[in-house]
Amino acid sequence: MPKEAALEGFTPQIGTEVTLEQLVERAFDYRGNVTVIRRDGSSVEGYLFNRNRDVADPFVEMFDKDGHGPLTILYGDIRTIRFTGKDTAAGNSYAAWLRAKEAAKKASVPPAADA
Amino acid sequence: MSVPFSQMWTVASYVVTQRLRGRRRYPLVLQLEPLFRCNLACAGCGKIQYPAQILRKHLAVEQCVAAVEECGAPMVAIPGGEPLMYPEIGRLVRELVARKRYVYLCTNAILLKEKLQEDVFVPSKFLSFSVHMDGVREDHDEAVCRDGVFDQAVEGIREAVRRGFRVTTNSTLFDGADPLRMRRFFDEMMALGVEGMMVSPGYSYSKAPDQEHFLRRQRAHELFSQMLSSPKRQWRFNQSPLFLQFLMGKQDFECTPWGIPTYNMFGWQRPCYLLQEGYAKTFAELMETTKWDHYGRRSGNDKCRDCMVHCGYEPSAVNHTFTSWRGLRDAAVATLTGRL
Ligand code: SF4
Ligand code: SF4
Repeated sequence: MPKEAALEGFTPQIGTEVTLEQLVERAFDYRGNVTVIRRDGSSVEGYLFNRNRDVADPFVEMFDKDGHGPLTILYGDIRTIRFTGKDTAAGNSYAAWLRAKEAAKKASVPPAADA
Repeated sequence: MSVPFSQMWTVASYVVTQRLRGRRRYPLVLQLEPLFRCNLACAGCGKIQYPAQILRKHLAVEQCVAAVEECGAPMVAIPGGEPLMYPEIGRLVRELVARKRYVYLCTNAILLKEKLQEDVFVPSKFLSFSVHMDGVREDHDEAVCRDGVFDQAVEGIREAVRRGFRVTTNSTLFDGADPLRMRRFFDEMMALGVEGMMVSPGYSYSKAPDQEHFLRRQRAHELFSQMLSSPKRQWRFNQSPLFLQFLMGKQDFECTPWGIPTYNMFGWQRPCYLLQEGYAKTFAELMETTKWDHYGRRSGNDKCRDCMVHCGYEPSAVNHTFTSWRGLRDAAVATLTGRL
């Protein structure tokens, strides 16, 4: 199972690479759209914002790509989940902002005139 | 302490009533997030990293009001995202004020002056603008990752004070914060005429992108002690003095995550404003089915180990004040002497 940063574009195989429960946890933590593929072949693309395993029929909840929802999908109906959307939390660090600011400062300082 | 007496009285009688009713867990402040959209992208913020369709959505006023009534807390904080970008912010605030809830509208204030000039809000003892200010100009602009925001916020504060609104500031402090500059910042804010200030340490939680700059517990105690010992007489804080003492390492509390529950378009967030471990459909479900003993420092949960944020510990300080003689005495001494 790849680390968070490498999830974008990942299409795992349940059973060999990862369990369904592990996959749902990763999708729940992921700050981008995912595509949930059901056992019947249909799929929903959207943001998976919740999951609950502490009930008789564990489920996930999503808002689809157009923001409609919440849609509820039972764990038992899920064949796999693909990480199809951009990870919106990636590359936004404070360190990255500071680096960009420093670079901008340097760019705005006129080069020293030759003697 | 700068909280008006009527608000203090409301909170004190609410806490005592809950205790007399034998309620072990009760909310003090509802964090109501009507949207996640924001006109800034601060590095320490874990609230705005969502796909576009989520950022475009917002709660209806009716959903917000229903959540406020369901929760029953006497105070409502409206963060976001940026609540001044919520298209019905004026109506939402009017509905909550009509229900006599003390509303803290937590804003970066970029749009504040404009909204005030459009007469979106009416001054009320039930409404405070809680302006996000993370330090002096240079530090604030760095924290919010955009130059010029401090000056815009100051303009918004001036306009709100001039129009007779209650205005407070809220500051999240990260590692590297300079205590002397923060003291200068407190002077500046009080000179603007704000009613009081709020401070809290930033804390690392997995969904905030800037993991390196959050304060660890020991470092936080040092910083807050340097910043708050010998407070100047003109400084006023719009928060419990016992919480400030906790930040300085002079009080020890356990987290009260249910004290400031969070509601947004996903539902009732478990267990707190910081950690997003799932959502309940109703407030009752949140209170009854969240595994509360898995959270807080004593739980041994790694995610809670160094946490000192106000959403977990300020309710502990308030409960301690109104439910123990020692708490009441310590708070009274701090309030009367101005010493922390
Ligand atoms: S202003 Fe507030 S909500 Fe907006 S990015 Fe900054 S911390 Fe987040
Ligand atoms: S200690 Fe409390 S407020 Fe802090 S992360 Fe844990 S549950 Fe949330």
